[in-house]
Amino acid sequence: MKPLDRDLERLFSAASGAPQPALPSPAFGLETRVLAAWRSSRGGAPQWDMGVLVRGLALAGVLMAVSIWPAVSQSASSDTDSSLQLTDSTVQTYLSQ
Amino acid sequence: MTADEAAACVARARGGDEKAVLDLFHYMHPHVVKLVYSNRPGKEGLEDLIQQSCIKVITNLHKYSGRAPFLHWVSRVTINTCLNQIRHEKARPEVRLADLSEDEAHVIESLAVSPGALDTADQVGASELVEKLLQGLRAPDRLLMRLMYLEGRNVEEISKLTGWSRAVVKVRAFRARGLLRKRYQLLMKETP
Repeated sequence: MKPLDRDLERLFSAASGAPQPALPSPAFGLETRVLAAWRSSRGGAPQWDMGVLVRGLALAGVLMAVSIWPAVSQSASSDTDSSLQLTDSTVQTYLSQ
Repeated sequence: MTADEAAACVARARGGDEKAVLDLFHYMHPHVVKLVYSNRPGKEGLEDLIQQSCIKVITNLHKYSGRAPFLHWVSRVTINTCLNQIRHEKARPEVRLADLSEDEAHVIESLAVSPGALDTADQVGASELVEKLLQGLRAPDRLLMRLMYLEGRNVEEISKLTGWSRAVVKVRAFRARGLLRKRYQLLMKETP
C-alpha cells in the first residue's frame, strides 16, 4: 500500500471513531404529518366497488324508464287521436261540399 | 422491536392499524435521522429530508416485499431520498492548509510524523478534515465514500442501498479515492 493510501486509511479510521452528535427526537408535528400522509395515501385508493356502481346505474336507468313510460305513451296516443280527428273532419267537410 | 416484530407491525399497518403506523415511525425514526445526519453533515434542510424519508416509507409500505429486514428497506429509501436531494450539488474547490482549523492542521501533522493509528484526541479533528476533503467530490461520490469508509459498508451493501450496480460502485469508489488522494497530496505539500 502506498504511503498516501495508508495515511488516508488512518485518517478515515480515526474519523469513523469520532463521537457522533446526539440524535434529535422527532421534530414537533412530524408524527402527525406522517400519519396524515399515511391516511391520505390510503384515501387515494378507489374506495367503491365498480360492480355496485354499474348495478346502481342500471337500476336508476330502469326506474327512469318506468317513470317516464306512462307520460310518453299517453302523449303518443293523444297525438294519434287528434291527428285522426283532424283528418276525419277534413274528409267530412270535403264530402259535404 | 425485533425484525419479526417490525414485519408483523408492517402487516398490521397495511391492514389500516394506525397504532402500528406510529410504532413503525418511532422504530425507524432514529435510523433515518442517523443516516441523514451522517450523509449530510453540517447541511441545512435535514429536518425536511428526514420528513420526506419517513413519509416515503410510511406511504409506500405496500411496496415493501419483506424479503430483507424492514430497516434495510428504510435505509434504501432514505439513501435514495438523500441522493435525489444532492444530485445537483457541486463539488467545492480544493482545500488549502490555511482553511484548516488548529485541530485539523494537527491531524495532518500527526499523519506526516507518526506512522501508527491516530490518537483518540485527534478523532474529532480527523472527522472534520475528512469532511473538508470530501467536499471536493461530487455529491454521490461523497455519499459513497461515507458509506464505504466511515460506516464500513461493503460494495454489495452499497449496491443494495443505492440501487447502483456493483461495477458502478467500484468505478465510482476508484475515481473518488483518486480525487481524495490528490486533494490530500496538495495539503501535504503545503505542510511545513
